[in-house]
Amino acid sequence: MAGEILLVREVNKGFGGILALDRCSIAVDQGEIVGLIGPNGAGKSTLFDIISGFVQPDAGSIAFRGEEIVGLPAHRIARMGLVRTFQIPRALMRMTVLENMMLGAQGQTGERAIASLIRRHRVEDEESRIRKKAEEILKFFDLLPMKDHYGGSLSGGQKKMLEMARALMADPRLLLLDEPFAGVNPALADRLIQQIKILKEKGLTIMIIEHAIPYVIALCDELYVLNKGRVLAHGRPEEVIADRRVFEAYLGEADDAQS
Amino acid sequence: MARLEIMIEQLIANGIVYGCIIALAAIGLSLAYRILNFANFAHGEFLTLGAYFALFFAANLDLDFLPACLLAIAATAAFGVVLDLLAWKPMRSSGASRTAIMILSIGLSIAIRNGLIIFFQPDALRFPLPVSQGLDINGILVTSFQIAVVLIAFAAMLLVHSLLSRTALGKSMRALADNPNLARISGIDVDRVIRYTWAVSMGLAALAGIMFGSITHLNPNMGWSIILPMFAAAILGGIGNAYGAMAGGMIIGITQELSTAILPAEYKIAVSFLIMIAVLLFRPRGLMGGS
Amino acid sequence: MLDYLVSIVLTAGIYAIFALGLNLQWGYAGLLNFGHVSFMALGAYTTVLLGMHGVPLPLAVLAGMLLAGASGAFLGMATLRLREDYLAIVTIGFSEIIRFLLLNWSSLTKGSFGLFGYPRPGENLVGAMDYNLFLACLVIGVLALVYALLELLARSPWGRVLKSIRDDEAVSMALGKNSFYYKVQCLALGSAIAALSGSLLAFYLQYINPNNFLPLETFYAWIMVILGGSGNNRGTILGAFLLWGFFSGTRFLEGYLSFSPSATSAARMVIIGLILIGLMMFRPQGLLGDKEELAIGR
Repeated sequence: MAGEILLVREVNKGFGGILALDRCSIAVDQGEIVGLIGPNGAGKSTLFDIISGFVQPDAGSIAFRGEEIVGLPAHRIARMGLVRTFQIPRALMRMTVLENMMLGAQGQTGERAIASLIRRHRVEDEESRIRKKAEEILKFFDLLPMKDHYGGSLSGGQKKMLEMARALMADPRLLLLDEPFAGVNPALADRLIQQIKILKEKGLTIMIIEHAIPYVIALCDELYVLNKGRVLAHGRPEEVIADRRVFEAYLGEADDAQS
Repeated sequence: MARLEIMIEQLIANGIVYGCIIALAAIGLSLAYRILNFANFAHGEFLTLGAYFALFFAANLDLDFLPACLLAIAATAAFGVVLDLLAWKPMRSSGASRTAIMILSIGLSIAIRNGLIIFFQPDALRFPLPVSQGLDINGILVTSFQIAVVLIAFAAMLLVHSLLSRTALGKSMRALADNPNLARISGIDVDRVIRYTWAVSMGLAALAGIMFGSITHLNPNMGWSIILPMFAAAILGGIGNAYGAMAGGMIIGITQELSTAILPAEYKIAVSFLIMIAVLLFRPRGLMGGS
Repeated sequence: MLDYLVSIVLTAGIYAIFALGLNLQWGYAGLLNFGHVSFMALGAYTTVLLGMHGVPLPLAVLAGMLLAGASGAFLGMATLRLREDYLAIVTIGFSEIIRFLLLNWSSLTKGSFGLFGYPRPGENLVGAMDYNLFLACLVIGVLALVYALLELLARSPWGRVLKSIRDDEAVSMALGKNSFYYKVQCLALGSAIAALSGSLLAFYLQYINPNNFLPLETFYAWIMVILGGSGNNRGTILGAFLLWGFFSGTRFLEGYLSFSPSATSAARMVIIGLILIGLMMFRPQGLLGDKEELAIGR
C-alpha cells in the first residue's frame, strides 16, 4: 500500500445556478478499487469529468500522484496515467477494433508527423509491439475475433468491453470506469468482475461509478456515496450500505421520480 | 486643433451612418445564426436582393420609390420563408450537419450573386432618387439621405426591440436564441418561430440593402462586400443577441471610419477583421452574448 | 492537340494539389477552411516577389509555403478552441483581407496591374516551345509527391490519431492525444500545400494579379473534395479533373450561346453554386465517398 494516488479536495461545480458538486472530497489509495454510488443526478459523472480534466471545477484541488491536476488539459492528464471510460461507450465507429486499441498506446513515435515519415523502421517495430499488446488485451476481453470489424458494428456489450480494453492500452495507473456494468447481461458481468479483480492484482487502481449495488459490494474496497453533489458517506461497503442515510437518499430519488 | 476635431466628428458621423446599415444587417444574421445554429454566408446576398427588388419594382411596376421599397422588403422576407421551406428545413429534418448547411449557404450566395449579374448588369446602378441634399451641421457634412438612413435605422431598431420584448413571438424568438434546447422542450412551435425569424432577418437585411444602395450605389457584389463587417458586428455583439448586434454594428461602423484618420481608406475592412480576431481571442462570447 | 492536353494537365493538376491541401484539413481533420485560396495567393506572390529579387526558386517556393503554413497555424490557434464555424468565418475574412492587400499594397504587389517577367524553374534548360510540357511534368511530379506524402501520413499512427479526432474528439483526448495540436498541424500543412500550388500556378501563368485568387477559388476546391468523397485523396484528384473538364467543356459552349462574356462566366458560377447546393442536399458523400466514412452527411 503506497499511499494516496488521488486526492480530491473541496471541489465545487455549478451549472447555471445548480450546484452539481458541493465541497466534494475523495481520497483513493493506490491499489484499491473505490466505488462511487448515489442516486441519479448526484454528480458522479460530473466528478469523473472534472477529475479527468474534461470539465473545470469552480473551486477545489485535485492531486494525482502528488501533482495538482486542476487546470491541466484532459489529454495531459490522460498521459499522466489517469484514464477514464465513458458512461455510454464511445467506440470509434469508423475505425476497426484493432485501430481503436492501437490508438490507446502511449508514447508512439509514429504519432508525430515528421517522425512517422522518417523513422519508418522504428515506427514499424513499435506498431508490431503495440499490435501484439492490443491482441493480448482483446483476448482478455474475448474481443479478439472482432479485431478487424468496425467499431460501429459491435454490439452494446462488446462496445463496453472495447471501452475498457482501449483504456488499458494507455497503461493507466488510475482507471476511472463509468458504469461498466450498465446494460451488461449477468454472464458477461461475472466475467467482467473476474477481469477487474485480475487488473487489481496487477496493481491497477480503479474507481468505479456504478448503480448496481451487488457488483459494487463484490468489487470495492471502499465506497463513497454522493447525494446532491455532496459526499454523504464513505467507508467499507458493508458499513456504507447499512447506513440509513444512504437508504434514504435512494428513497428520495424514488420520491422525486414519482412526483 | 479645431480642424482635427471636426474631422473626427465627420468621421464619427459617417461611421454612424455606415454603422446603422451594418447593425440592421447584423441583427438578422445574429438571430438566425443562433436560432438556426449555422453561419449563413448568403446573408449578404439578402441585402443585395432587397436593393435589386426595390429597383426592379420601381422600374417595372411603375411604383414610387417608397412603396417599391416596402414591397421589396416584403418580397425578400417572403423569399426567406420560401427558402426555409425549400432548403433549410429539409436539411434540418434530414439531420444534415452544420457544415453541410453552411456550404449550401455558400452555394446559394454564389448562385444568387451571379444570377443577379446575368439579369442585371455587373455594373453599378442607381436608385431612381433625386439627388440628395448636402447639409452642413456645425461643420459636419451630411446628406439628407444619410440622415434618413439613420432615422429609419433607429426606427427599425426600436421596432425590433418592441417585437422582441413585447410580443409573444418575440419572446419565443429570444427564448429560442438564448437556450434552444430549453425552448424546444417548453412547447414553443419551433418551425413557426424559425419562419418568422427568417422573415424578420431577411426584412431587416433588405432594408439595410436598400439604404446601402441609396447612399452609395447598387452592384451585385454589394452585400458580399460587407460580409466581413456584418459577421464582425454579430460576433462582437454576441451571437444571438439582437441588441448586441445593434451595438456591434455601430461600433464597427464608427471604428472603421475613424481608422481612415490613420490608415488609407481601402484598409477599412481590415479593421473589422482585426476586431473580429480580437473578440475571438479574448472574449469569444462577445459583448452581450451568452455562454 | 498536345498543347490542349498539356494545358488541361497543368490546370487540373495544379488545382488538384490545391484541393489535396484542403482535403487534409477537411476530409481528415474535419476543419472548415473557407479561405484556402488566400494561402495559394501567399505562395504565388511570395515566390514571384522573392524570385524577382534573385532568391533561388526552390527557396522562394519554400518561403511561400512557410509563410502560408504559419498563417494557417495562426488562424487555427485563434479559433480552434471555439466553435468549428468560427474558423470558417475567420478564414473567409482572411481571404478577403489578403485579396484586399494584394489589390491595395501596390508598392509591393503592383495591385491590379499584376506581376510578370519573373523567373521560372528550368527556363535556361528548356526551350520556350517545350516549356509547358516540362512544367506539366513538374506538376505531375509534385502532385504525385504530395499525394504519396498525404497517403503515407494517413496510413501512419499520426493519421490514426487524426481519424480518431474526426470520429470522436473526446475519446481521442481521453487517450492522451492533443487534438488541438493535430488540428493546427493540419491547417499548417494544408496551407503550405496550397502555397505550393500557388507557386506552380504562377510559373504556369507567367502573370499573376489579384483576380487569380478570388474567394470563389476556395469553393472550387471544396467541390473537388466533396465530389471525390471527403477524405479520399484519389477522389479529390478525380474531382479536380472533373471540375476542370466542366470548365473547359462550357468554354466551347460560349461560342454557341449569345451570352456576353461576363454573363457566360456568371452563368458558369451559377452552375457552380447550384452544384454545391445539390451536393449538400442530395449527395454529400460525393461520387466516391462512403457515407459511413464521411464527415459531412451525418
